[in-house]
Amino acid sequence: MSETIVLSLTQAPEHALVADCIAPDRFAALAAKEIASLGVFHGGRAARLGDFFKVTGERSPNLRLEGDLGRVRGIGTGMTGGAMVIDGPSGRDLGVAMAGGRIEVRGSTGDNVGGARPGAAKGMTGGEIVIRGSAGDDAGVRMRRGLLVILGDVGRGTGRAMIAGTIVLFGKTGPGAGRFLKRGTIVALAAMERPVTYRYACTYRPPHVGVLLRYLRARSGVPVSDRHVIGRYERYSGDLAELGKGEILQWAGE
Amino acid sequence: MNINGVAIDDTFAEAFTMRVARIVITGRNPKWAREAAVKMTGFATSVIGCKCEAGIERELPAAETPDGRPGVSVLFLTMDKESLPRQLVVRLGQTVLTCPTTACFDGLPSVPDRLAVGKALRVFGDGFQASKVIGGKRYWRIPVMEGEFLIEETFGMQKGVGGGNFLILAEDADHGLEAAEAAVDAMTNQPGVILPFPGGVVRSGSKVGSKRYKSMIATTNDAFSPTLRAVTASQVPEGVNSVLEIVLDGTDGPSIEAAMRVGIRAACRPGVRAISAGNYGGKLGPHHFHLRKILA
Repeated sequence: MSETIVLSLTQAPEHALVADCIAPDRFAALAAKEIASLGVFHGGRAARLGDFFKVTGERSPNLRLEGDLGRVRGIGTGMTGGAMVIDGPSGRDLGVAMAGGRIEVRGSTGDNVGGARPGAAKGMTGGEIVIRGSAGDDAGVRMRRGLLVILGDVGRGTGRAMIAGTIVLFGKTGPGAGRFLKRGTIVALAAMERPVTYRYACTYRPPHVGVLLRYLRARSGVPVSDRHVIGRYERYSGDLAELGKGEILQWAGE
Repeated sequence: MNINGVAIDDTFAEAFTMRVARIVITGRNPKWAREAAVKMTGFATSVIGCKCEAGIERELPAAETPDGRPGVSVLFLTMDKESLPRQLVVRLGQTVLTCPTTACFDGLPSVPDRLAVGKALRVFGDGFQASKVIGGKRYWRIPVMEGEFLIEETFGMQKGVGGGNFLILAEDADHGLEAAEAAVDAMTNQPGVILPFPGGVVRSGSKVGSKRYKSMIATTNDAFSPTLRAVTASQVPEGVNSVLEIVLDGTDGPSIEAAMRVGIRAACRPGVRAISAGNYGGKLGPHHFHLRKILA
Protein backbone atom coordinates (compact mmCIF):
# COMPACT_ATOMS: atom_id res chain seq x y z
CA MET A 1 0.00 0.00 0.00
CA SER A 2 1.30 3.45 -0.88
CA GLU A 3 0.48 6.75 0.70
CA THR A 4 -0.53 8.22 -2.64
CA ILE A 5 -1.08 6.80 -6.10
CA VAL A 6 0.37 9.03 -8.81
CA LEU A 7 -0.84 8.95 -12.41
CA SER A 8 1.56 10.83 -14.68
CA LEU A 9 0.47 11.55 -18.23
CA THR A 10 3.09 10.02 -20.52
CA GLN A 11 1.21 10.04 -23.83
CA ALA A 12 -0.84 13.15 -24.54
CA PRO A 13 -4.19 12.04 -26.04
CA GLU A 14 -4.82 13.24 -29.60
CA HIS A 15 -8.58 12.95 -29.16
CA ALA A 16 -10.93 13.02 -26.23
CA LEU A 17 -9.93 10.41 -23.68
CA VAL A 18 -12.88 9.14 -21.66
CA ALA A 19 -11.31 7.92 -18.42
CA ASP A 20 -14.25 7.58 -16.05
CA CYS A 21 -12.42 4.69 -14.38
CA ILE A 22 -10.16 7.18 -12.58
CA ALA A 23 -11.42 7.47 -9.03
CA PRO A 24 -9.50 7.11 -5.76
CA ASP A 25 -12.07 4.86 -4.10
CA ARG A 26 -11.76 2.36 -6.98
CA PHE A 27 -7.99 2.51 -6.96
CA ALA A 28 -7.89 1.90 -3.20
CA ALA A 29 -8.21 -1.85 -3.71
CA LEU A 30 -6.09 -2.19 -6.86
CA ALA A 31 -2.44 -2.94 -7.56
CA ALA A 32 -0.53 -0.68 -9.96
CA LYS A 33 -0.84 -3.22 -12.81
CA GLU A 34 -4.57 -3.53 -12.29
CA ILE A 35 -4.94 0.24 -12.39
CA ALA A 36 -2.93 0.45 -15.62
CA SER A 37 -5.12 -2.20 -17.23
CA LEU A 38 -8.41 -0.37 -16.60
CA GLY A 39 -10.32 0.45 -19.75
CA VAL A 40 -10.61 3.90 -21.33
CA PHE A 41 -11.90 5.21 -24.67
CA HIS A 42 -9.63 7.27 -26.86
CA GLY A 43 -11.39 8.89 -29.77
CA GLY A 44 -14.16 6.33 -29.30
CA ARG A 45 -11.76 3.36 -29.40
CA ALA A 46 -11.06 1.11 -26.44
CA ALA A 47 -7.66 1.45 -24.83
CA ARG A 48 -5.97 0.97 -21.47
CA LEU A 49 -5.25 3.59 -18.86
CA GLY A 50 -1.62 2.47 -18.88
CA ASP A 51 -1.37 3.46 -22.56
CA PHE A 52 -1.50 7.09 -21.45
CA PHE A 53 -0.42 7.18 -17.82
CA LYS A 54 2.46 5.91 -15.80
CA VAL A 55 1.09 4.52 -12.52
CA THR A 56 3.18 4.88 -9.38
CA GLY A 57 1.90 3.43 -6.12
CA GLU A 58 -1.06 1.21 -5.36
CA ARG A 59 -3.92 0.45 -2.98
CA SER A 60 -4.38 3.96 -1.63
CA PRO A 61 -7.42 6.21 -1.33
CA ASN A 62 -5.24 9.21 -2.17
CA LEU A 63 -4.63 9.94 -5.82
CA ARG A 64 -2.63 12.57 -7.67
CA LEU A 65 -2.79 13.18 -11.41
CA GLU A 66 -0.04 15.00 -13.23
CA GLY A 67 0.06 16.51 -16.69
CA ASP A 68 -2.23 18.43 -19.03
CA LEU A 69 -5.48 16.51 -18.72
CA GLY A 70 -7.54 19.00 -20.73
CA ARG A 71 -8.68 16.22 -23.07
CA VAL A 72 -9.31 13.67 -20.34
CA ARG A 73 -13.01 13.39 -19.59
CA GLY A 74 -15.02 11.94 -16.74
CA ILE A 75 -12.32 11.83 -14.09
CA GLY A 76 -13.88 10.96 -10.73
CA THR A 77 -17.20 9.87 -12.21
CA GLY A 78 -19.38 8.31 -9.52
CA MET A 79 -16.59 8.64 -6.98
CA THR A 80 -17.73 7.81 -3.43
CA GLY A 81 -14.67 8.53 -1.30
CA GLY A 82 -10.99 9.23 -1.12
CA ALA A 83 -9.08 12.32 -2.16
CA MET A 84 -7.85 13.29 -5.61
CA VAL A 85 -5.60 16.18 -6.63
CA ILE A 86 -5.18 17.10 -10.28
CA ASP A 87 -1.99 19.06 -10.80
CA GLY A 88 -3.11 20.96 -13.88
CA PRO A 89 -6.16 21.33 -16.07
CA SER A 90 -8.77 18.63 -16.49
CA GLY A 91 -11.35 17.91 -19.16
CA ARG A 92 -15.12 17.95 -19.03
CA ASP A 93 -17.38 15.79 -16.83
CA LEU A 94 -15.09 15.93 -13.82
CA GLY A 95 -16.79 14.44 -10.74
CA VAL A 96 -19.99 13.68 -12.61
CA ALA A 97 -22.47 11.90 -10.32
CA MET A 98 -19.91 12.05 -7.54
CA ALA A 99 -21.25 10.86 -4.17
CA GLY A 100 -18.37 11.42 -1.75
CA GLY A 101 -14.69 12.24 -1.30
CA ARG A 102 -12.73 15.28 -2.37
CA ILE A 103 -11.40 16.54 -5.70
CA GLU A 104 -9.04 19.46 -6.04
CA VAL A 105 -8.04 20.77 -9.46
CA ARG A 106 -4.99 23.02 -9.55
CA GLY A 107 -5.99 24.39 -12.89
CA SER A 108 -9.13 24.85 -14.94
CA THR A 109 -11.73 22.30 -15.87
CA GLY A 110 -14.22 21.77 -18.67
CA ASP A 111 -18.00 21.58 -18.86
CA ASN A 112 -20.35 19.71 -16.55
CA VAL A 113 -18.09 19.56 -13.49
CA GLY A 114 -20.03 17.92 -10.64
CA GLY A 115 -22.91 17.54 -13.05
CA ALA A 116 -25.13 14.69 -14.12
CA ARG A 117 -24.71 11.79 -16.51
CA PRO A 118 -26.69 12.31 -19.71
CA GLY A 119 -30.40 11.87 -18.95
CA ALA A 120 -29.84 11.37 -15.22
CA ALA A 121 -32.14 13.11 -12.75
CA LYS A 122 -29.36 13.87 -10.28
CA GLY A 123 -25.85 15.15 -10.62
CA MET A 124 -23.38 15.23 -7.77
CA THR A 125 -24.90 13.75 -4.60
CA GLY A 126 -22.07 14.35 -2.13
CA GLY A 127 -18.42 15.19 -1.61
CA GLU A 128 -16.44 18.31 -2.37
CA ILE A 129 -14.87 19.69 -5.54
CA VAL A 130 -12.51 22.66 -5.49
CA ILE A 131 -11.44 24.13 -8.85
CA ARG A 132 -8.61 26.60 -8.49
CA GLY A 133 -8.99 27.80 -12.06
CA SER A 134 -12.04 28.35 -14.22
CA ALA A 135 -14.82 25.96 -15.22
CA GLY A 136 -16.83 25.55 -18.39
CA ASP A 137 -20.59 25.46 -18.85
CA ASP A 138 -23.11 23.58 -16.72
CA ALA A 139 -21.08 23.31 -13.52
CA GLY A 140 -23.12 21.57 -10.83
CA VAL A 141 -26.05 20.81 -13.08
CA ARG A 142 -28.81 18.90 -11.22
CA MET A 143 -26.59 18.75 -8.15
CA ARG A 144 -28.39 17.01 -5.28
CA ARG A 145 -25.93 17.46 -2.41
CA GLY A 146 -22.28 18.35 -1.84
CA LEU A 147 -20.04 21.34 -2.33
CA LEU A 148 -18.60 22.78 -5.52
CA VAL A 149 -16.13 25.65 -5.28
CA ILE A 150 -14.77 27.47 -8.32
CA LEU A 151 -12.13 30.12 -7.77
CA GLY A 152 -12.02 31.32 -11.36
CA ASP A 153 -14.75 32.19 -13.85
CA VAL A 154 -17.56 29.87 -14.86
CA GLY A 155 -19.48 29.49 -18.09
CA ARG A 156 -23.20 29.30 -18.73
CA GLY A 157 -25.82 27.45 -16.72
CA THR A 158 -23.97 26.98 -13.44
CA GLY A 159 -26.20 25.17 -10.94
CA ARG A 160 -28.94 24.72 -13.50
CA ALA A 161 -31.80 22.64 -12.05
CA MET A 162 -29.95 22.14 -8.79
CA ILE A 163 -31.91 20.07 -6.30
CA ALA A 164 -29.79 20.95 -3.26
CA GLY A 165 -26.18 21.46 -2.25
CA THR A 166 -23.87 24.45 -2.34
CA ILE A 167 -21.88 26.17 -5.09
CA VAL A 168 -19.39 28.90 -4.23
CA LEU A 169 -18.26 31.13 -7.08
CA PHE A 170 -15.31 33.47 -6.72
CA GLY A 171 -15.09 34.75 -10.30
CA LYS A 172 -17.35 35.91 -13.09
CA THR A 173 -20.45 33.88 -13.78
CA GLY A 174 -21.91 33.21 -17.19
CA PRO A 175 -25.62 33.63 -17.96
CA GLY A 176 -28.30 31.29 -16.72
CA ALA A 177 -26.77 30.44 -13.35
CA GLY A 178 -29.32 28.95 -10.94
CA ARG A 179 -32.07 28.61 -13.53
CA PHE A 180 -34.70 26.04 -12.48
CA LEU A 181 -32.95 25.59 -9.14
CA LYS A 182 -35.25 23.87 -6.60
CA ARG A 183 -33.24 24.13 -3.39
CA GLY A 184 -29.62 24.73 -2.62
CA THR A 185 -27.36 27.72 -2.47
CA ILE A 186 -25.21 29.59 -4.94
CA VAL A 187 -22.82 31.90 -3.13
CA ALA A 188 -21.49 34.53 -5.53
CA LEU A 189 -18.54 36.55 -4.29
CA ALA A 190 -18.35 38.55 -7.54
CA ALA A 191 -21.17 40.13 -9.47
CA MET A 192 -23.41 37.65 -11.28
CA GLU A 193 -26.34 37.82 -13.61
CA ARG A 194 -29.45 36.35 -12.01
CA PRO A 195 -32.45 34.88 -13.78
CA VAL A 196 -35.50 37.15 -13.59
CA THR A 197 -37.32 34.42 -11.71
CA TYR A 198 -35.37 35.19 -8.55
CA ARG A 199 -36.76 37.69 -6.06
CA TYR A 200 -34.76 39.85 -3.69
CA ALA A 201 -35.41 39.00 -0.01
CA CYS A 202 -33.00 40.96 2.16
CA THR A 203 -29.39 41.94 2.79
CA TYR A 204 -27.91 40.22 5.84
CA ARG A 205 -24.95 38.30 7.20
CA PRO A 206 -25.78 34.62 6.64
CA PRO A 207 -24.07 32.77 9.49
CA HIS A 208 -23.52 29.56 7.56
CA VAL A 209 -21.52 31.36 4.86
CA GLY A 210 -18.96 32.43 7.44
CA VAL A 211 -18.67 28.85 8.66
CA LEU A 212 -18.41 27.56 5.11
CA LEU A 213 -15.77 30.02 3.95
CA ARG A 214 -13.67 29.50 7.06
CA TYR A 215 -13.93 25.77 6.51
CA LEU A 216 -12.72 26.16 2.91
CA ARG A 217 -9.82 28.30 4.04
CA ALA A 218 -8.76 25.84 6.72
CA ARG A 219 -9.46 22.58 4.88
CA SER A 220 -8.41 23.38 1.34
CA GLY A 221 -6.30 26.49 1.65
CA VAL A 222 -8.79 28.45 -0.45
CA PRO A 223 -7.77 32.14 -0.31
CA VAL A 224 -10.89 33.55 1.29
CA SER A 225 -10.67 37.11 2.49
CA ASP A 226 -12.15 38.23 5.79
CA ARG A 227 -14.43 40.69 4.04
CA HIS A 228 -16.24 37.76 2.48
CA VAL A 229 -16.35 35.79 5.72
CA ILE A 230 -17.93 38.57 7.75
CA GLY A 231 -19.59 40.36 4.86
CA ARG A 232 -23.19 41.17 4.04
CA TYR A 233 -25.00 39.23 1.34
CA GLU A 234 -28.06 39.98 -0.72
CA ARG A 235 -30.42 37.04 -0.63
CA TYR A 236 -32.39 36.23 -3.75
CA SER A 237 -34.97 33.46 -3.43
CA GLY A 238 -35.60 31.22 -6.36
CA ASP A 239 -36.01 29.84 -8.81
CA LEU A 240 -39.63 30.94 -8.41
CA ALA A 241 -40.44 29.25 -11.70
CA GLU A 242 -39.60 26.05 -9.83
CA LEU A 243 -39.93 25.06 -6.16
CA GLY A 244 -38.39 28.37 -5.09
CA LYS A 245 -36.70 27.05 -1.96
CA GLY A 246 -33.22 27.85 -3.16
CA GLU A 247 -31.18 31.00 -3.02
CA ILE A 248 -28.46 33.06 -4.58
CA LEU A 249 -26.37 34.84 -1.98
CA GLN A 250 -24.62 37.75 -3.60
CA TRP A 251 -21.82 39.36 -1.62
CA ALA A 252 -22.70 43.01 -0.98
CA GLY A 253 -19.69 44.33 0.87
CA GLU A 254 -18.56 44.43 4.47
CA MET B 1 -0.75 19.46 55.80
CA ASN B 2 -1.12 23.21 55.67
CA ILE B 3 -0.72 25.88 53.00
CA ASN B 4 0.09 29.45 54.06
CA GLY B 5 -0.91 28.49 57.57
CA VAL B 6 -4.28 27.06 56.49
CA ALA B 7 -4.95 23.48 57.56
CA ILE B 8 -5.94 21.05 54.81
CA ASP B 9 -8.25 18.44 56.29
CA ASP B 10 -7.51 14.81 55.59
CA THR B 11 -10.77 14.23 53.75
CA PHE B 12 -12.20 14.02 50.27
CA ALA B 13 -14.88 15.50 48.04
CA GLU B 14 -17.36 12.94 46.78
CA ALA B 15 -18.73 13.51 43.29
CA PHE B 16 -21.15 11.82 40.93
CA THR B 17 -21.17 10.68 37.35
CA MET B 18 -23.35 12.95 35.22
CA ARG B 19 -23.92 13.47 31.51
CA VAL B 20 -22.36 16.55 30.00
CA ALA B 21 -22.57 18.50 26.74
CA ARG B 22 -20.40 21.42 25.71
CA ILE B 23 -22.23 24.20 23.87
CA VAL B 24 -20.31 26.87 21.97
CA ILE B 25 -22.35 30.04 21.58
CA THR B 26 -21.06 32.76 19.28
CA GLY B 27 -22.32 36.25 18.72
CA ARG B 28 -21.59 39.41 16.83
CA ASN B 29 -19.47 40.51 19.79
CA PRO B 30 -18.56 39.07 23.20
CA LYS B 31 -21.47 40.91 24.83
CA TRP B 32 -24.15 39.07 22.89
CA ALA B 33 -22.48 35.68 23.11
CA ARG B 34 -22.26 36.18 26.85
CA GLU B 35 -25.85 37.43 27.14
CA ALA B 36 -27.10 34.16 25.64
CA ALA B 37 -24.77 32.07 27.77
CA VAL B 38 -25.78 33.83 30.96
CA LYS B 39 -29.46 33.26 30.22
CA MET B 40 -28.88 29.65 29.25
CA THR B 41 -26.99 28.90 32.46
CA GLY B 42 -29.41 30.80 34.68
CA PHE B 43 -31.28 28.75 37.30
CA ALA B 44 -28.98 25.79 36.70
CA THR B 45 -27.13 25.55 39.99
CA SER B 46 -28.09 22.10 41.17
CA VAL B 47 -29.98 19.10 39.85
CA ILE B 48 -31.78 19.04 43.19
CA GLY B 49 -34.01 21.91 42.18
CA CYS B 50 -33.10 22.84 38.60
CA LYS B 51 -32.86 19.37 37.01
CA CYS B 52 -29.63 20.46 35.38
CA GLU B 53 -26.35 22.15 36.21
CA ALA B 54 -24.69 24.56 33.83
CA GLY B 55 -22.12 27.27 33.72
CA ILE B 56 -19.77 29.21 31.53
CA GLU B 57 -16.58 27.25 31.00
CA ARG B 58 -14.64 30.06 29.34
CA GLU B 59 -14.84 32.84 26.81
CA LEU B 60 -13.55 31.96 23.36
CA PRO B 61 -11.62 34.29 21.08
CA ALA B 62 -12.87 34.58 17.51
CA ALA B 63 -10.04 32.39 16.23
CA GLU B 64 -11.31 29.43 18.27
CA THR B 65 -14.92 29.38 17.09
CA PRO B 66 -16.38 27.75 13.98
CA ASP B 67 -17.73 31.00 12.54
CA GLY B 68 -14.84 33.25 13.49
CA ARG B 69 -16.84 35.34 15.93
CA PRO B 70 -16.33 35.76 19.65
CA GLY B 71 -17.91 33.01 21.68
CA VAL B 72 -18.59 31.43 25.01
CA SER B 73 -18.23 27.79 25.93
CA VAL B 74 -20.90 26.40 28.23
CA LEU B 75 -20.93 23.06 30.03
CA PHE B 76 -24.38 21.61 30.59
CA LEU B 77 -24.94 18.60 32.84
CA THR B 78 -27.82 16.38 33.90
CA MET B 79 -27.97 13.24 35.99
CA ASP B 80 -29.02 10.94 33.14
CA LYS B 81 -28.74 10.76 29.39
CA GLU B 82 -32.48 10.93 28.78
CA SER B 83 -32.95 14.33 30.37
CA LEU B 84 -29.95 16.03 28.77
CA PRO B 85 -31.45 16.46 25.29
CA ARG B 86 -34.81 17.50 26.75
CA GLN B 87 -33.23 20.18 28.89
CA LEU B 88 -30.98 21.36 26.07
CA VAL B 89 -33.80 21.71 23.58
CA VAL B 90 -35.85 23.78 26.02
CA ARG B 91 -32.97 25.94 27.18
CA LEU B 92 -31.36 26.54 23.79
CA GLY B 93 -34.74 27.23 22.27
CA GLN B 94 -35.67 29.83 24.86
CA THR B 95 -32.32 31.49 25.49
CA VAL B 96 -29.94 31.14 22.54
CA LEU B 97 -32.39 30.99 19.65
CA THR B 98 -34.04 34.11 21.02
CA CYS B 99 -30.83 36.09 21.54
CA PRO B 100 -29.80 38.49 18.76
CA THR B 101 -26.86 37.54 16.51
CA THR B 102 -26.05 34.21 18.17
CA ALA B 103 -25.19 30.87 16.58
CA CYS B 104 -24.75 27.59 18.38
CA PHE B 105 -22.16 24.86 17.86
CA ASP B 106 -21.22 21.54 19.38
CA GLY B 107 -18.16 21.67 21.62
CA LEU B 108 -17.68 17.89 21.79
CA PRO B 109 -17.43 16.98 18.09
CA SER B 110 -15.45 13.77 18.51
CA VAL B 111 -17.84 12.19 21.01
CA PRO B 112 -19.84 9.31 19.47
CA ASP B 113 -22.98 9.74 21.61
CA ARG B 114 -24.99 12.37 19.70
CA LEU B 115 -28.04 14.36 20.80
CA ALA B 116 -30.33 15.59 18.04
CA VAL B 117 -30.83 19.01 19.59
CA GLY B 118 -30.56 21.17 16.48
CA LYS B 119 -32.69 18.67 14.63
CA ALA B 120 -35.43 19.13 17.22
CA LEU B 121 -35.16 22.92 17.24
CA ARG B 122 -35.30 23.19 13.46
CA VAL B 123 -39.08 22.85 13.43
CA PHE B 124 -39.34 26.35 14.85
CA GLY B 125 -38.63 27.28 11.24
CA ASP B 126 -42.12 26.01 10.35
CA GLY B 127 -40.93 24.38 7.15
CA PHE B 128 -38.85 27.36 6.03
CA GLN B 129 -35.72 25.97 7.70
CA ALA B 130 -32.90 24.67 5.55
CA SER B 131 -29.89 22.54 6.28
CA LYS B 132 -26.29 22.78 5.13
CA VAL B 133 -23.61 20.13 5.38
CA ILE B 134 -20.19 21.69 5.91
CA GLY B 135 -17.17 19.51 6.50
CA GLY B 136 -19.36 16.49 7.22
CA LYS B 137 -21.47 18.28 9.84
CA ARG B 138 -25.06 19.20 9.26
CA TYR B 139 -26.21 22.65 10.35
CA TRP B 140 -29.75 23.98 10.49
CA ARG B 141 -30.57 27.46 9.32
CA ILE B 142 -33.70 28.68 11.03
CA PRO B 143 -35.17 31.90 9.66
CA VAL B 144 -35.97 34.41 12.40
CA MET B 145 -37.10 38.02 12.38
CA GLU B 146 -33.54 39.28 12.85
CA GLY B 147 -32.12 37.14 10.04
CA GLU B 148 -31.09 33.55 10.55
CA PHE B 149 -30.23 31.34 13.52
CA LEU B 150 -27.60 28.69 12.83
CA ILE B 151 -27.32 25.58 14.98
CA GLU B 152 -25.54 22.28 14.57
CA GLU B 153 -27.82 19.31 14.09
CA THR B 154 -26.30 17.20 16.84
CA PHE B 155 -24.32 17.76 20.00
CA GLY B 156 -21.95 15.34 21.69
CA MET B 157 -22.75 13.87 25.09
CA GLN B 158 -20.28 12.17 27.36
CA LYS B 159 -19.96 11.11 30.96
CA GLY B 160 -18.92 13.97 33.19
CA VAL B 161 -18.42 14.59 36.87
CA GLY B 162 -20.71 16.66 39.07
CA GLY B 163 -20.33 17.70 42.68
CA GLY B 164 -16.61 18.18 43.13
CA ASN B 165 -16.26 20.57 46.03
CA PHE B 166 -14.26 22.08 48.81
CA LEU B 167 -15.18 24.06 51.89
CA ILE B 168 -13.53 27.25 53.07
CA LEU B 169 -13.61 27.50 56.86
CA ALA B 170 -12.97 31.13 57.73
CA GLU B 171 -12.66 33.23 60.87
CA ASP B 172 -15.50 35.45 59.70
CA ALA B 173 -17.82 35.95 56.73
CA ASP B 174 -15.73 38.73 55.17
CA HIS B 175 -12.56 36.67 55.09
CA GLY B 176 -14.48 33.65 53.87
CA LEU B 177 -15.95 35.58 50.98
CA GLU B 178 -12.60 37.10 50.04
CA ALA B 179 -11.05 33.64 49.97
CA ALA B 180 -13.93 32.23 47.94
CA GLU B 181 -13.64 35.07 45.43
CA ALA B 182 -9.91 34.47 45.12
CA ALA B 183 -10.54 30.76 44.55
CA VAL B 184 -13.18 31.45 41.89
CA ASP B 185 -10.90 33.92 40.12
CA ALA B 186 -8.16 31.30 40.03
CA MET B 187 -10.51 28.62 38.67
CA THR B 188 -12.17 30.82 36.05
CA ASN B 189 -11.32 29.69 32.50
CA GLN B 190 -9.97 26.35 33.70
CA PRO B 191 -10.72 23.99 30.81
CA GLY B 192 -13.39 21.36 31.35
CA VAL B 193 -14.76 22.85 34.57
CA ILE B 194 -17.68 25.04 35.61
CA LEU B 195 -18.75 26.46 38.94
CA PRO B 196 -22.55 26.35 38.66
CA PHE B 197 -23.51 28.39 41.74
CA PRO B 198 -23.89 32.18 41.98
CA GLY B 199 -20.47 33.72 41.53
CA GLY B 200 -19.13 30.17 41.84
CA VAL B 201 -19.86 30.12 45.58
CA VAL B 202 -22.41 28.26 47.74
CA ARG B 203 -23.33 29.49 51.18
CA SER B 204 -26.00 26.86 51.79
CA GLY B 205 -24.29 23.52 51.41
CA SER B 206 -26.72 20.69 51.97
CA LYS B 207 -26.88 17.22 53.41
CA VAL B 208 -28.91 14.37 51.97
CA GLY B 209 -32.46 14.19 53.32
CA SER B 210 -33.84 15.75 56.46
CA LYS B 211 -33.87 15.07 60.15
CA ARG B 212 -37.37 16.43 60.43
CA TYR B 213 -39.20 16.73 57.08
CA LYS B 214 -39.67 13.48 55.19
CA SER B 215 -40.45 15.16 51.87
CA MET B 216 -37.16 17.06 51.73
CA ILE B 217 -34.40 15.46 49.67
CA ALA B 218 -31.78 17.96 50.84
CA THR B 219 -31.58 20.21 53.86
CA THR B 220 -29.04 22.51 55.45
CA ASN B 221 -25.64 21.07 56.23
CA ASP B 222 -25.99 21.57 59.97
CA ALA B 223 -22.59 20.01 60.66
CA PHE B 224 -20.93 22.97 58.92
CA SER B 225 -23.36 25.69 60.02
CA PRO B 226 -21.56 27.84 62.63
CA THR B 227 -24.76 29.01 64.29
CA LEU B 228 -25.63 25.41 65.13
CA ARG B 229 -22.27 24.49 66.64
CA ALA B 230 -23.72 24.24 70.12
CA VAL B 231 -26.78 22.19 69.21
CA THR B 232 -25.66 19.68 66.58
CA ALA B 233 -22.84 17.24 65.82
CA SER B 234 -20.79 20.12 64.51
CA GLN B 235 -17.68 19.89 62.36
CA VAL B 236 -17.00 23.61 62.63
CA PRO B 237 -13.64 24.04 64.37
CA GLU B 238 -12.93 26.50 67.13
CA GLY B 239 -12.36 30.01 65.73
CA VAL B 240 -14.36 29.38 62.54
CA ASN B 241 -17.45 31.54 62.13
CA SER B 242 -18.31 31.20 58.44
CA VAL B 243 -18.10 28.37 55.90
CA LEU B 244 -18.44 28.71 52.16
CA GLU B 245 -18.47 25.93 49.58
CA ILE B 246 -17.16 25.88 46.05
CA VAL B 247 -18.88 23.29 43.83
CA LEU B 248 -17.25 22.14 40.61
CA ASP B 249 -18.71 20.17 37.69
CA GLY B 250 -16.60 19.07 34.78
CA THR B 251 -15.99 16.90 31.80
CA ASP B 252 -13.71 14.51 33.71
CA GLY B 253 -11.97 13.89 37.01
CA PRO B 254 -8.53 15.26 36.10
CA SER B 255 -10.06 18.59 35.05
CA ILE B 256 -11.84 18.87 38.41
CA GLU B 257 -8.65 17.97 40.25
CA ALA B 258 -6.65 20.58 38.36
CA ALA B 259 -9.20 23.28 39.14
CA MET B 260 -9.46 22.27 42.81
CA ARG B 261 -5.68 22.47 43.06
CA VAL B 262 -5.49 26.09 41.91
CA GLY B 263 -8.69 27.05 43.69
CA ILE B 264 -7.69 25.69 47.08
CA ARG B 265 -4.24 27.25 46.86
CA ALA B 266 -5.81 30.62 46.10
CA ALA B 267 -8.23 30.25 49.02
CA CYS B 268 -5.44 29.62 51.51
CA ARG B 269 -5.00 33.17 52.72
CA PRO B 270 -5.16 35.13 55.98
CA GLY B 271 -8.45 34.76 57.82
CA VAL B 272 -8.99 31.20 56.62
CA ARG B 273 -8.47 28.48 59.22
CA ALA B 274 -9.00 25.31 57.21
CA ILE B 275 -10.06 23.76 53.90
CA SER B 276 -12.34 20.75 54.03
CA ALA B 277 -14.66 18.94 51.65
CA GLY B 278 -18.12 17.45 51.54
CA ASN B 279 -18.74 13.74 51.20
CA TYR B 280 -21.26 11.07 52.08
CA GLY B 281 -18.80 8.58 53.49
CA GLY B 282 -17.76 7.51 50.01
CA LYS B 283 -20.89 5.39 49.51
CA LEU B 284 -22.85 7.50 47.02
CA GLY B 285 -20.48 8.98 44.48
CA PRO B 286 -17.82 7.05 42.55
CA HIS B 287 -15.44 10.01 42.27
CA HIS B 288 -13.37 10.82 45.36
CA PHE B 289 -11.10 13.85 45.32
CA HIS B 290 -8.73 13.59 48.28
CA LEU B 291 -7.62 17.08 49.19
CA ARG B 292 -4.14 16.19 50.41
CA LYS B 293 -3.47 13.95 47.42
CA ILE B 294 -4.52 16.71 45.00
CA LEU B 295 -2.34 19.29 46.72
CA ALA B 296 0.70 17.07 47.29
